[in-house]
Amino acid sequence: MSVPSAAEVEHADWPTLQRMCESLGLNPKGRSGVVRMRVLDHVRRRIRPESWRAGRDHMAALLTRLGYPNLSEDLWESTIRLDAPAPWVGLGQAQVAGGFLSEAAKSFDRAAQMGDRSALLHRAEALGAGGDYDRAIAACESYLADRPGNLRALGMKADFLARSGFKEEAARVLLAAADAHPEAPFLRSSAGTSFLKAGRPEVALEAFGLPKLADAPEIEGAINHGVALLVLGRTREAVDIFQKAIEADPDRVEALNNLAVAQLQLGQPELAAANLARAAKGVDSARIRLNLAKVAPNPAPRPRAKKPAARKKPKP
Amino acid sequence: MLAPDATERFLPSVDRLESAMHAARRAFERGDTDGALGQLGVALKLKPEYDAAWILKGHVLQKAGDREAALDAFMQSLKCSGDSKEGWMGLASALHELGRLKEEAEAYDRLLAFDPLSIEAWIDKGAVLHELKDYSGAIRCYEEVLALRPEHGAAWNNKGAALLRLGQEAEAAGCFEEALHLDPDCVDAMANRVYLYETKAYHGEAVLWADRALRIREAPGLWYAKGLAHLGLLESTLAMRSFERALALDPTLKEAKAALRRATALRRKSDFYRGAYECFGTHLAGDPGCEECEIRPRCREVTP
Repeated sequence: MSVPSAAEVEHADWPTLQRMCESLGLNPKGRSGVVRMRVLDHVRRRIRPESWRAGRDHMAALLTRLGYPNLSEDLWESTIRLDAPAPWVGLGQAQVAGGFLSEAAKSFDRAAQMGDRSALLHRAEALGAGGDYDRAIAACESYLADRPGNLRALGMKADFLARSGFKEEAARVLLAAADAHPEAPFLRSSAGTSFLKAGRPEVALEAFGLPKLADAPEIEGAINHGVALLVLGRTREAVDIFQKAIEADPDRVEALNNLAVAQLQLGQPELAAANLARAAKGVDSARIRLNLAKVAPNPAPRPRAKKPAARKKPKP
Repeated sequence: MLAPDATERFLPSVDRLESAMHAARRAFERGDTDGALGQLGVALKLKPEYDAAWILKGHVLQKAGDREAALDAFMQSLKCSGDSKEGWMGLASALHELGRLKEEAEAYDRLLAFDPLSIEAWIDKGAVLHELKDYSGAIRCYEEVLALRPEHGAAWNNKGAALLRLGQEAEAAGCFEEALHLDPDCVDAMANRVYLYETKAYHGEAVLWADRALRIREAPGLWYAKGLAHLGLLESTLAMRSFERALALDPTLKEAKAALRRATALRRKSDFYRGAYECFGTHLAGDPGCEECEIRPRCREVTP
């Protein structure tokens, strides 16, 4: 029988109260008020929620975040069980916070062996933080073997590839992520930008897709799209994109600079100079100043100082 | 040019001050009073007018048993910051430990002058006035608490205790009822109920509430009161056991020794056995439980 509510006990008649005592294993003898109090006490104790107390694992997790990795490590070690990977993940995070990256990688590995696949990504982070990008990428790939479209894993893999110098491969991973996640349009821009950085503007252009009206979060990608067009010699299309970007955000100096470069290619040095001057006012950039120096008309050569005529000695 | 130590003294490092305070707190928490006092010495050398350090020093000294020094530390904290609630509460607790109850009450008054909504100060002031036998004053304090927090079970219980001292038993019973309604495990309210019923010679009720209180917290006084109630119910064996338990917890309890002798003597003449009936001695005519009771005739004998 389930435990009756306090209200049921309060209003129960004598036979019901007796039945409740029987079912709950309580003494049914005595004055009715006392028996009722006995049942109510029992009900109150059964339904009273246990007050929450931070367990060792809660404390350990908090200690890591509060900046006490050594204390946290000790606590995590005391919570380790044979059937639970979570303490190993916690221990690994404390070790990362304490700077023991190789130890952390081992802890995450233990958690992964116990069935917690997300520990592979933690392991990748620890390896990446230690500069071991090859093994970090391998950890991401192990995770992606089960979950090929996982956005976090794909993003991490691309990041590690880019950091280890494989920019084109990183861009391809981002492009695959963009195909798997059409709900995240920024991925195509990121992939395009990565291709551009890898020196593959024609592939970047494919990644960017059709030019879009630049809104604030997409403006970075739009500007890079314009750069790809500019690099490929499609200067007029690039100008259109830069102008739209500037309309959306007049303070984007890189758009102004790029527009000026495009205008220079189109033989419009005055317009280019004006845009570069605007850009130079917005931010003090060596690149913009150099561009401005190229565009600004050369000042007229100074007239050479004439030799003064030889004075005639006054006659005495 | 300043010497290096003088530079430190006149340009105290905030980091060093904070780390000394942190170390002192940690030492205090793990019970290392000497370590805590050492760190507080460092902190107070860096910033002599640091009220938080003086307050912590007061608590450490209290724990170390140096009450006079604790009092001095709390007074120093109040010299640094006269509006410190913690400082006044610490000072009051130090005065309480020294038995300077009137000054303790004044400390609460000073605190309440700038923080009239301090529940702790009102409750503690009521308690000290109760100790000073100013029961009406204590009741006023508890009423202040109940105006702010009507669900404060301890305030209801304390008010009931003060009313009991003033002989207002019916009002006191109402307060204990309220306290137990708000906090069904309020041992103090249960104990007060035991004393109230015992003064009315309702021994059955007294045993009932003493049992409930003892299930939560043991106290020699409660065992003694329970023993007396058993004596009233002519349950000499149970009375003896209660007095023996009271004496095991507090061998100096003379009343329990005398009562144990009385219970032993009574046992030769009479010894009721209640069996499973914990309500023995609380017979209520017409109650369905009492109608079925197997020891009803004996219960009637001892029910007032």
